[in-house]
Amino acid sequence: MEREQSEQPKTGSDPKDVAADANERRSGYLGFVAHEVRNPLSTALWTAELLARMSPEERGGARGDKLSAMCLRSLSRVRQLVEDHFLCERLDVAGIPVRAEPLSLGEVVEALLERRPADAPPVTVELDGPITVAADRSLLERAIEALLAVAGSDGTPVRVVARTGDDVAISVSGHAPAPGALEDPRKGSASDPKGRALALPVARRAAAALRGSLIVSDAGYLLTLPRVRAYTPPPDSPAEP
Amino acid sequence: MTDPLVLVVDDDPDILDAICDILEGEGYRVARARHGVEALERVEAEKPAIILLDLMMPVMDGLAFAQALRERPGKAGIPIVVISADGNPQRAASVGAAGYLAKPFDIDALLAQVAQMTSSACASF
Repeated sequence: MEREQSEQPKTGSDPKDVAADANERRSGYLGFVAHEVRNPLSTALWTAELLARMSPEERGGARGDKLSAMCLRSLSRVRQLVEDHFLCERLDVAGIPVRAEPLSLGEVVEALLERRPADAPPVTVELDGPITVAADRSLLERAIEALLAVAGSDGTPVRVVARTGDDVAISVSGHAPAPGALEDPRKGSASDPKGRALALPVARRAAAALRGSLIVSDAGYLLTLPRVRAYTPPPDSPAEP
Repeated sequence: MTDPLVLVVDDDPDILDAICDILEGEGYRVARARHGVEALERVEAEKPAIILLDLMMPVMDGLAFAQALRERPGKAGIPIVVISADGNPQRAASVGAAGYLAKPFDIDALLAQVAQMTSSACASF
């Protein structure tokens, strides 16, 4: 069963009801963001305070090392959540200039995989030949990286398959999506240990900004993007080798 | 008399580790659970003096756990302190929690709450 994301109001609905629904969704979403930030923020504050209460000798010991590692890990989670949240906010108000350029999908995915942390789960990639998409590089990277993160939850190996048709369809599968997670991120994992609780909202908004779409099904995530069939560089561009 | 046992229930492993570190540093014995089902098993295995309970958890959330606990003979009186990041103390009150701490709470506030609850619990045994 597929569950396509749609935030559009239902046709024929009372405008007041639509506005109330939108406000309720917005409030719920912001509550979820606050919840996700407060957990790692708590750990960061507590561990920093515990370290401050320790003597220099204690701080240099095993417990000090453990608390320092927890503090840094928690701050990384906070940073990831804050970055994802503000990206979502900016995309919501079209506050980011989106520049569509022809990009080799294979090169984009390969560059992303090279930058992944060493402990990230394995990713297999299957492309239907050389594929060129019309996209903003930064947003495309954020969308694919976010999908790799959610599909790779709990260390699950990830499979990326891209096919061309009228558009480019990029299927990312791995960890099964939580039912309704795309419509409401609160229905996803209760607390993401990597701080990627907002990965799906990021991917959905980035897909929309790239004039594509994101669909979640039991099989995984399907990102669809406009395809470049034949790209002709502008006359003043340097010729490609 | 043995030190009071505190059961900490939270799905976030770093939160669990940090709270257990804080409590153990003050001499409490701690048991940990990642969700309500694990917490019910812990309660059966070793009767804690107090339960620190997160609300938003997978498998069985804090509200469902609190209701299940209240229906268990001999366990219903274990005091619960809700530790939640949802900023909604009404949800804690709805399950009859004895206390509520909103994350991120101060370490001293946690220790004061636990000290008060464990001394009450020990006095009532």
